[in-house]
Amino acid sequence: MGVAVEIKNTAPPRLHLAFAGLGLALLAIFSWMLLHEGTAEWRTTQARFRRLEATVKNPYQLAQSATVAGLRQIWLPDLGRVDRCRTCHLGIDDPAFTGASPPFAAHPGAWLSTHPTDRFGCTVCHDGQGQATDYVNAAHQPQPFVPRPMRPLETIEANCGTCHRALDPPAAPRLAEGRRLIIALGCISCHDIPGFEGLTFRGPALDSIGNKVRPGWLAVWLKDPKSYLPQSKMGNFRLSTDEIAGLQGFLLSQRLQEPLDSTGVDWKNADTANGRALFGELRCVSCHSINGRGGTMGPELTRIGDKVARDWLFSYLKDPHRVQPDTPMLQYRLTDNQLRDLTAYLLEEYSSAGDGSEPPSATYQDARLVSAGRAVFERRGCQSCHRLAAIKDAGRIGPSLAGVADRDPNEWPYGSNVVRHTTDNYIFLKVLLPDTLGQPSLMPTFGLTPADAAKITLALASIRKSDLPASYVLRRPAPAPYQPAGTFGELVTRYRCLSCHSVGGFGGDLSTVPLDRIGSQLQHDYTAKYLLNPGAVRVNVEARMPVFRMLPDEAKSIADYFSAVFLDDSLDQYDTNFTPSETRRGQELYEQLGCRACHQLGTQGGYVGPELSTTGVRLKPGWIAAWLSKPQAYKPDTLQPDYGLSSADARALTAYLSSLGRSDAAQARGENAP
Amino acid sequence: MNQSTPGSMAAWLDGVRRSVSRVGWPVTDKDRAAAMISSLFLHIHPARVSRHVLKPTYTFALGLIAGILFLVLSVTGLALMLYYVPYPPEAYRSMKDLQFVVTFGIVLRNMHRWSAHAMVAIVFVHMCRVFWTGSYKPPREFNWVVGVLLLLLTLGLSFTGYLLPWDQLAFWAITVGTNIAAHAPVVGEQMKFLLLGGHVIGPMTLLRFYVLHCVILPLAMLLLVSLHVWRVRKDGLSGAATQASPEEEVAGVFPASTKTYGLMALSKRPRASVEARDPNDEVFAWPHLLYRELLVALAVIVALHVVSLVFMAPLEEMADPTRTPNPAKAPWYFLGLQELVHYSTLVGGVIVPAVLVLALLIIPYVDRDPKGSGRWFAPERRITNSIFTALVALFVGLTIVGTLFRGANWAWVWPWR
Amino acid sequence: MPSELPDPVRRSMFAIGCIAMGAATAGFLAATVRFFVPNVLYEPSRRFDIGAPSDFPPGGAATFLPDWRLYVFNGTDGFYAISSVCTHLGCNVRRGGPGFECPCHGSQFDESGQVVQGPAPDPLAWYALSLSPHAQLVVDLDQQVTPEFRLRA
Repeated sequence: MGVAVEIKNTAPPRLHLAFAGLGLALLAIFSWMLLHEGTAEWRTTQARFRRLEATVKNPYQLAQSATVAGLRQIWLPDLGRVDRCRTCHLGIDDPAFTGASPPFAAHPGAWLSTHPTDRFGCTVCHDGQGQATDYVNAAHQPQPFVPRPMRPLETIEANCGTCHRALDPPAAPRLAEGRRLIIALGCISCHDIPGFEGLTFRGPALDSIGNKVRPGWLAVWLKDPKSYLPQSKMGNFRLSTDEIAGLQGFLLSQRLQEPLDSTGVDWKNADTANGRALFGELRCVSCHSINGRGGTMGPELTRIGDKVARDWLFSYLKDPHRVQPDTPMLQYRLTDNQLRDLTAYLLEEYSSAGDGSEPPSATYQDARLVSAGRAVFERRGCQSCHRLAAIKDAGRIGPSLAGVADRDPNEWPYGSNVVRHTTDNYIFLKVLLPDTLGQPSLMPTFGLTPADAAKITLALASIRKSDLPASYVLRRPAPAPYQPAGTFGELVTRYRCLSCHSVGGFGGDLSTVPLDRIGSQLQHDYTAKYLLNPGAVRVNVEARMPVFRMLPDEAKSIADYFSAVFLDDSLDQYDTNFTPSETRRGQELYEQLGCRACHQLGTQGGYVGPELSTTGVRLKPGWIAAWLSKPQAYKPDTLQPDYGLSSADARALTAYLSSLGRSDAAQARGENAP
Repeated sequence: MNQSTPGSMAAWLDGVRRSVSRVGWPVTDKDRAAAMISSLFLHIHPARVSRHVLKPTYTFALGLIAGILFLVLSVTGLALMLYYVPYPPEAYRSMKDLQFVVTFGIVLRNMHRWSAHAMVAIVFVHMCRVFWTGSYKPPREFNWVVGVLLLLLTLGLSFTGYLLPWDQLAFWAITVGTNIAAHAPVVGEQMKFLLLGGHVIGPMTLLRFYVLHCVILPLAMLLLVSLHVWRVRKDGLSGAATQASPEEEVAGVFPASTKTYGLMALSKRPRASVEARDPNDEVFAWPHLLYRELLVALAVIVALHVVSLVFMAPLEEMADPTRTPNPAKAPWYFLGLQELVHYSTLVGGVIVPAVLVLALLIIPYVDRDPKGSGRWFAPERRITNSIFTALVALFVGLTIVGTLFRGANWAWVWPWR
Repeated sequence: MPSELPDPVRRSMFAIGCIAMGAATAGFLAATVRFFVPNVLYEPSRRFDIGAPSDFPPGGAATFLPDWRLYVFNGTDGFYAISSVCTHLGCNVRRGGPGFECPCHGSQFDESGQVVQGPAPDPLAWYALSLSPHAQLVVDLDQQVTPEFRLRA
């Protein structure tokens, strides 16, 4: 039988010590946790803000809540974003904190009135990790595992572009310029780029290149286009000598099926002096430049004699659309002799060889060279920019740039370039120096300035992978193609009106006046006369309308069409029965408002705006009145001031201007007959 | 009831207290015994234990620590469930919320993760301890089997939880893990399809893993842990100071003790008794055993807190199925397997783990010699222990290699470079 | 260290342990409760712009903003906003004469939201209005004001 022996129910001392120690440790840990929470960075920042608030006049915060305390979150479920930046950036919405020390300073500029934080948050524009509540984790600096740390301010326009998809978004000039460069340099020919659908860029078609160019020139060009033409859009494809030889052979074998038109031309009697006169009269420099001066729509002609063959040039000037079907150049009405003189002049004047002698016509019969050249042509994707009937269209040779801004920067090669591995840096290097990235590249070197490459990078860095909700996106309006039919259509095609003018946003922008309402702006007879002999309405423009040498019937057709079709009804209802008192009042106003400062009248006046002596036979009164009343409504960036004219004053000025240049002008002004 | 006199107030309160806990704070020995056996939670323990049971080197309290970790994981996990959203990409966003805007969120998340890793390690070490003390010998064979099942459950819980943050680390670790499993012959692909809820890791996968992690596997764990502890009570602890001879045990005779405990006298007596042969060796579980268990729990909790406050659990960028990190590594406890898979997919990924698990399960039914049970590294069991230790060392070595010595493309790297 | 500590010391160690653990446990429980309190809400903001002052024509006819369940008045002495949520069971009240009436159970309120008749227990809530730095009217649903409130803008 066991007796319950007395067992000590006391524990060894070390256990009690351990108990006390662990208990105290637990208490200490709890205190540490409390401290850890209580001294969180955002809490101390808010405490600092409360002290600052006391010293700022009329802060909005004070009017609203008793104290600033607690996390502040902007939740945007449409955008899938949660931004807590305002937890520390407490003064961002409140102009009372302008100039305060960071992070409390109010947002600079007027950005928050168009992009209120409640609807946009912060990270849409600035990137960074919006969910964080401290400086480091918010990725103000690049941070591990944060794919998009905060953007340096100089690249912030890239984020404007994710919503503003138009080609010229407001208040983002570098982005707009980048997008313009993407079109102008032909990136869209080789790459499928979201946001640039429907736009085309083409170099000249090469079907007649064998007839067109001198072989020596072709080799120089293929080696480095900019050595012939510094502002060439074609990049340097870094071709080897063998590749150039092959391409030369291939291209020179591309010749027109039908013979050129230059048989039977009497070249010995070419009159280059006449050619020079024609050159001036036809106003070629409106589209072509010589020594850097002139238009940029067509190629520079400074050394055209080194480039083209004589027979080809003759045929081209005679009928450009047959020789090179997609050319923007118009077809003048010239006789064969005039064409001969012009051709001879161009070749003699604009060549470095000087003697204008015609090298023997070389034909390339080496089939191996031709096929090697064809392989190079296809491999380097020349057909992306240059159409060639002999090559079937294989689509764009470059990779699609969809979602390029969201690709993993560590996937890409940086070659020997010592840069931080970011998407922006990769795009910049690729655009600027495509062959330095450590692997062979088909992309040509465009010889861009770093500034231009940066702008293109901004435009590309705005192309994101996922799409935004429609309520946030401002799309690029797609201009509808304009292709008139009938007689008018033929004339438009022949004279290539749309190379310089636009209708409904479609066409060229060399002329800053769209033709959509031209029939309500210009008088019919003036239009017809003008087309036969485009005079200078403005003194100081470089680009002038060429002298087409149109037939009078053609000019009248065009004027008729304008007056019937390109109308704006709001301008055509104007009462044109002006009284002499209105006309006199208009004349007074003309003096009072100082119109003379910018406009010429007779022999006096300034050169900023068009001359006004012929306004009465040139412009329609309805247009004059509308323009004077609100010029910016028709042309937002015009220099014409908005005088805030009353309709009576506008009418008076219109009356006066409508009296100028008419044979009955004095009578209209109510003066005694001279 | 008259509430005006303080005495009756105290008596009333005492009555309320007594209705809840039927035995008050024990002062007598009888109370101490009663306190243990009349409490729902405490009657896991016997009323009295051998003094030798209290030695830390007895079992190093590994099983207890594993249980404490499970408790910590349950509590922290429950708390985390209030904020975590099991739908990608909200899952990642809710992880960031826990990190930034939930009070004590960082600590709780860290604690959950580090306890999980600790539990896998502790359970493994516990298994080694049980083997090295031969505590799987009869009558404890089935408990060992339950223990192996618990090991697999622990790994399953850790694996399912690994996916929940939905970051690159989680996504690709689970990709690797499920792909290793898919190599099982015949059923592999089907298993993977069921696990993933489809062909790819996506929202359905996350939901399945979430339910497995929070409901199914914990319930299974609770069930098996209860069974495991029940068997410990019934089979007794193997390492008592002196043991009854087999004949004595069969006879149910306990020469030194004639104590009965009511109904317990009728039930099958434990063989190697928890109760000591010599009453002088006995101590009451309350307070001796409980006090030590409390200290172990405190120590574990303090250690977990320190680790959770110092070391941040990882959270990489959000899972991106189109971008694979190089190298893509399974969770650390599967890296030994991944290293083996590197040499041979079938052998390393399927055969070896299957053989290992099967071997573990049948060990107690193969090695039934009771000699050497209850002692650390008993000389009788030298060969058995050596084989086991070698295999363990190999597995641990492979895991270390996979963790530290493998870099991009699974190429060998020196970790200090 | 002696194998036996004196009883008082041992007892005080134990006491320290008990008190520390008790305090820590209480602290952790409190921390757990605090953990459950959300610090950010995934809801529309309780303070929001409702438009420019010029969007609300003056006069007795209030502008009803259905998204936010508010009647906004541009009175002779300033702007004010009254909630359209009936204090009975939450239906939107209609304008009834100068005041409001609830179509659900017939509660009637006067022009300042006080209960005139009906099962509604409390007057309609008035919310604080202010002017943002960008000259927009801002309603704050977390700040209730008395019917004397007017915003001059």
